Amino acid sequence: MANNNVLTWGELTEKKTMDDQGVAVDIRGVNKRFTTQQGDEVTALHDINLTINKHDFICVVGRSGCGKTTLLNMLAGFEKPTDGELVSGGVVIDGPSPKRGVVFQKPPLYPWLTVRKNVEFGMKMQGVPAAERKEKADHFLELVGLTSAADRRPYELSGGMQQRAQIARVLATEPDLILMDEPYGALDALTREKLQNELLRIWRERHSTVFFITHSVDEAIFLATRVIVMSAHPGTVKMDIPITIPRDPDDPDNMEKVRATPEFVQLREEITQAIYVQDDQE
Amino acid sequence: MSDATTPTPDTTGAPTPVVAGTAVAGTSIVEGEATAKRKPMPAWMKSKKIQPIISLVLLIAVWWAVTSAGLINSLYLPGPKAVWDAFIEANSCRPASEGSSRIVCGEQQYFLWQHLVVSLERIGVGMALGIVVGVLVGFILAEIGWLNRIILPYINFIRALPPLGYIGLLIVWFGIGDTTKIWLLFLAAFPPIVLATVDGINSVNRDRVNSALSLGASRPKAFLFVVFPSALPSIMNGIRLAIGFAWTTVVAAELNNGIPGIGALAYLSGTELNTPLTIACIFVIGIAALLLDWLILGITHLVTPWVGKE
Repeated sequence: MANNNVLTWGELTEKKTMDDQGVAVDIRGVNKRFTTQQGDEVTALHDINLTINKHDFICVVGRSGCGKTTLLNMLAGFEKPTDGELVSGGVVIDGPSPKRGVVFQKPPLYPWLTVRKNVEFGMKMQGVPAAERKEKADHFLELVGLTSAADRRPYELSGGMQQRAQIARVLATEPDLILMDEPYGALDALTREKLQNELLRIWRERHSTVFFITHSVDEAIFLATRVIVMSAHPGTVKMDIPITIPRDPDDPDNMEKVRATPEFVQLREEITQAIYVQDDQE
Repeated sequence: MSDATTPTPDTTGAPTPVVAGTAVAGTSIVEGEATAKRKPMPAWMKSKKIQPIISLVLLIAVWWAVTSAGLINSLYLPGPKAVWDAFIEANSCRPASEGSSRIVCGEQQYFLWQHLVVSLERIGVGMALGIVVGVLVGFILAEIGWLNRIILPYINFIRALPPLGYIGLLIVWFGIGDTTKIWLLFLAAFPPIVLATVDGINSVNRDRVNSALSLGASRPKAFLFVVFPSALPSIMNGIRLAIGFAWTTVVAAELNNGIPGIGALAYLSGTELNTPLTIACIFVIGIAALLLDWLILGITHLVTPWVGKE
C-alpha cells in the first residue's frame, strides 16, 4: 500500500509496458508452501504463471485443495507467495489495496452499520466527501436493486440481498480488479442466476476485470471469457480455455440460450473431464 | 410446629401417622376431582409478567405468616413489617430515645441511602478504572502475541484469587481507607475485562478485517472501525461479569472500616443483633445488584443491537 503513489523508475517502465499490453496482473513463477502443524511441508501452489488481461472475466475451477483460494488471497494481498511475484500496475502486490476489491463467499458486512453505511464504508476510509459518498452509494444500491433496503441492517436481509450489498460495497470503491471467492455458492438457483446476469451486466458496463472462483462448471462457462482449470497436489494451472459463447445479460432467457449452444455442451464435457481425470489418477 | 392444631391442610404437619394418613387420603381425592374437571388457568395467571410477581407476593405472605404466627424467634427472622420499619427508620431522623430531645438520623451517622451511594461510588470508581485499563491492556495483549503469552498467565492468576484473600496485603500497602477498597475493586474488575477483550479481538472474523483493508482502510482505521466494534459484544460481556464480581467484593471489603457503606452496615447491624436492619440491607444489596446488571444489559443492548440477530 505504501507504494501506491510514488513509483520507482523501474516500476514506472514496467507499468507502462503492462498498460500497453493491457495486462491487469501478471503472476510470475508463484510457489506457495505451508508447514502443517505436524511439521510437514505442503506445496499448495506450484509454478503458477498466469497473465490476467484487462477486461478478462476469469473463472477458476478445480477440486477443493487445488489452491484456488490461496491464489485469490495472494492476488488480494492477504497472503504472500513463497517464491515468485504478482505484479499489478508495475508494482509487486504486497498487501491489500482498494484497487483489488474482494467479494467473499460469506458477506462480511458490518452489522453495526446500515446497508447504506456499509456501501459507503470504503469511500469513507478513503476520505471521499459525504455528499459524493451518498450519491455513489445511491447509484450502486440501485445497481444491485437494494435501494429500498438501504436503511436496514445487514442481518435484516436475506442471503441473496446480503451478497448483493457486499457486491455494491466492493463496486463503490471502483476497483480495477474484482476478486470473487465462490460468491454465489450458498444461494438458491433462482437468486444465483439473477446475480450472475447482474454481474455480467456490471462487468460489461464498467469494463472491470473479474477473477471468479467457483465449484460449478456451468457457472464458469456461463460467466467467463477464460476458464482456468486447476489441478491439486500441488496446485497448478492445468488448462486455460477461452470462452466465446455470445451472452446477453439483458435477455431473460440468457441462461437457457447459452446452455443450449453446442459449444456449451462440449466445453462442459471437456472441463468436467479435465477435473475428473485427475481424480481417477489419485 | 406440631402444636399447630389448626385444620388447615398443612403439608409439613405430619408427626402423627393417623392424622397424616387421613390428610394424604383427603388430598388425593381432592386432586382426583380437580384433574377430572380441571378448570383452565385464568388468563391473568398465565401472563409471563404476572407469574414472578405472584411468586413474590406468595413468598412475602409465607414469610409474614410464619413470623406473625410466632413460629420463629423474631431475633432470627423478623417479620416483613419490622424489616420495612427498619428500612424507613434508617432513611429518616428520629429522637434518640422515647421522649429524648436529641435527634439521630439514619444508622451509623448516615442514612441508608447514603451508605448505598458510597458503596456505589466505590464500585463506580473501581469499575471505571478497570474498564479503561482493562480494555487498553486487552488491546495491547491481543495485538502483541509474545507479550500476551508472558502476561496472560498472571492475569489469569489474579482472576482466580478471591479478592478477600489479598485484602490484607492491600491494607499493608495502602492503609485501611478507600484507596485499598478501590484497588481491590480494580483488581476484581480488571482481569475479566482484559480476558474478554483479548478473546473478543482474537475471535474477530478474518474476512471482516481483510474486507476493511481491501476497501481502503489503513490498519489503525480497520482496528477502530471494524475490529473494535466486532469485539464489543465480548467486551460488554466481560464488563457484566466484572461488575457482578466487583459488587460481591465491595460488600465483603467493607467489613474493614467500611462505614459509610452498605456492606459495612449489613455486617455491623448483624453484630449488634439488629436483624431487621440486616435483612433490609440484604434486600438493598440484592436489588442494587440486580439493577446494576439490568443497567449493563440495557447499555449492551444499546451499543451492540445486532447481537443474537445475525
